[in-house]
Amino acid sequence: MSLQFASKRKKTLKKPKAKTQWSAYGYLAPAIVTISLLSIAPIIYTIYIAFTNFNANHFLDYQFVGFDNFIKLFTPGSPLASVFLPTLLWTFLYAILATFINYGAGLFLAVVLNNKGMKESAIYRTLLIIPWAVPGLISMLIWKGLLNTSFGQINGLLHSLFGMDPIPWLDSPMWAHVSILLVSLWAGFPYMMSVCLGALQSVPTEQYEAASIDGATWFQKFRSITMASVWKISLPLLIPTFAFNFNNFNAVYLLTGGDPARTDNQFAGSTDILASAAYKMTLQFNRYDWAAAISIFLFALVAILSLINMKFTRAFEEVD
Amino acid sequence: METSTSNRNNALRKRRKSVRPGEKMVLWVSRVFIWCVIIVTLIPLWFVVIAALNPTNSYFSTSFWPTNVSFANFHKLFTETTFLTGLRVSAMVSVCVAIGQVLLTATGAFAFSKLRFWGRKYGLMTLLIIQMFPNFLAIAAIYAALSKLGLVDQIWAYIIVLLGGSAYQMWLMKGYFDSIPKELDEAALIDGASSWQRFWKIILPLSVPMLTVIIFFQLISSFDEYILAGTILQSPEKANLGVVMYGLISDNQGQEWGVFAAAALLTATPLAIVFGLLQKWISTGLTAGATKG
Repeated sequence: MSLQFASKRKKTLKKPKAKTQWSAYGYLAPAIVTISLLSIAPIIYTIYIAFTNFNANHFLDYQFVGFDNFIKLFTPGSPLASVFLPTLLWTFLYAILATFINYGAGLFLAVVLNNKGMKESAIYRTLLIIPWAVPGLISMLIWKGLLNTSFGQINGLLHSLFGMDPIPWLDSPMWAHVSILLVSLWAGFPYMMSVCLGALQSVPTEQYEAASIDGATWFQKFRSITMASVWKISLPLLIPTFAFNFNNFNAVYLLTGGDPARTDNQFAGSTDILASAAYKMTLQFNRYDWAAAISIFLFALVAILSLINMKFTRAFEEVD
Repeated sequence: METSTSNRNNALRKRRKSVRPGEKMVLWVSRVFIWCVIIVTLIPLWFVVIAALNPTNSYFSTSFWPTNVSFANFHKLFTETTFLTGLRVSAMVSVCVAIGQVLLTATGAFAFSKLRFWGRKYGLMTLLIIQMFPNFLAIAAIYAALSKLGLVDQIWAYIIVLLGGSAYQMWLMKGYFDSIPKELDEAALIDGASSWQRFWKIILPLSVPMLTVIIFFQLISSFDEYILAGTILQSPEKANLGVVMYGLISDNQGQEWGVFAAAALLTATPLAIVFGLLQKWISTGLTAGATKG
């Protein structure tokens, strides 16, 4: 009844504005006000700061400097670029590697667990999800202790099992990068595994039966039925995961603090990603201008990734 | 025709029989592999349990079983560290943020789900895009603004900053409101109920499960927060749990490993259990966007 009425009205009036319920804005007000004040305003202020020389030396008398900070970001030889460019490289490398290693491991485990003969796989799944359930902050700090070169239990274990010498997990630049990736794998594979397992279980069994009747081999079935549906569900999650890892402050700052230190500059260590470098510049060095310029760069990158993802998945589109 | 299908069935049966031993092998290889993965995954956590129960605080403990079990580390945690203060700060912050967040998101989600207004179609999407920028990226602006306003080291300022991110929860809640049968709502409309009565008397009571899930989500994520707490809360008596625990592991070259392990055990266990109970919701919430397209 009311539906009919609505469609009739749509035809005659055509203007959807006529249907506006003004009280709606009252309900929206709390959320809109907080989001504007606490999300949009800081972004705008960040943009503003990025165009000034607002830092510890110019806390009250800062000036507008135009694109100066951004030019410095990309000018080889400038102190800011010597922080930014290597950190940018590692940030990309970390985000790409962490995303694909975690995805690969999660997918592989999901395929193994999806064996119909493995009646007890639900138990295994529960046990393997535990790292995801531990709050990220606590698990990163736990790993910081476990990977301590001289006291850590991981080196202790390797020593008692294989008689290995202590590995400088967090103290040498090379091992610190490896440690961050390993710890990210430990913390990140359960999520990917659950997503892939959910995708695998949504494949209708009739498809496999039909394929067997047609004489498909195990590998053919796996490639064209299993993987096809897993791709469809899990691929749209890869871009958000990449964006998340790109700004995975906890995995870096809580584990290594960005250390070991680099010799050529004080602002960022060799494992710092851009987000943790911006944090250090703000808190330790009060270089708000540089931190803001780096943040703007990160904003732009997240925006591009999000747009690509939206086009790709149409996830948040309104379905009428 | 009939013979060909029966032939095919025979062939199939034959093949199945011949494949069976191989399948069994694959199954056992998979099992052994999974056992190894489980052991490697869980050993680090088991080490934490051992360290927490080991009173000698010997970092380099290689035993797989706790020796001289005692609760000395727990005792030290409660008497000699600021763990309890941190716990209190985190609990207060997370309860305030969770309640505030639910109030903000429920009203907004109600408008997006049940009311008609200009901006409905793209409004939520716009908010979601804005909130894809994690607010800690604006850390320089937030810190500079708070220090100009003299609000650094104020717990309530920290709570307000955390209240900013509500679009994703609003999207989750809107999805839930959408799933409430229209008939219930329309019946009330015909009876002349105001929008507030529809919201307060019909939609909210029906959404208690979702509200609970969002409150728990928020509780967990506030406990898990370090970067803004580390920035805004600077005096030791206002440090939240994350900052306190970071101090336990970083100060004194990790001498307090046993005490830290006790703290990790005490906080991670309840949060992990809550997470386990919410698992169903978490996985559907995360993949809802993906399966839609």
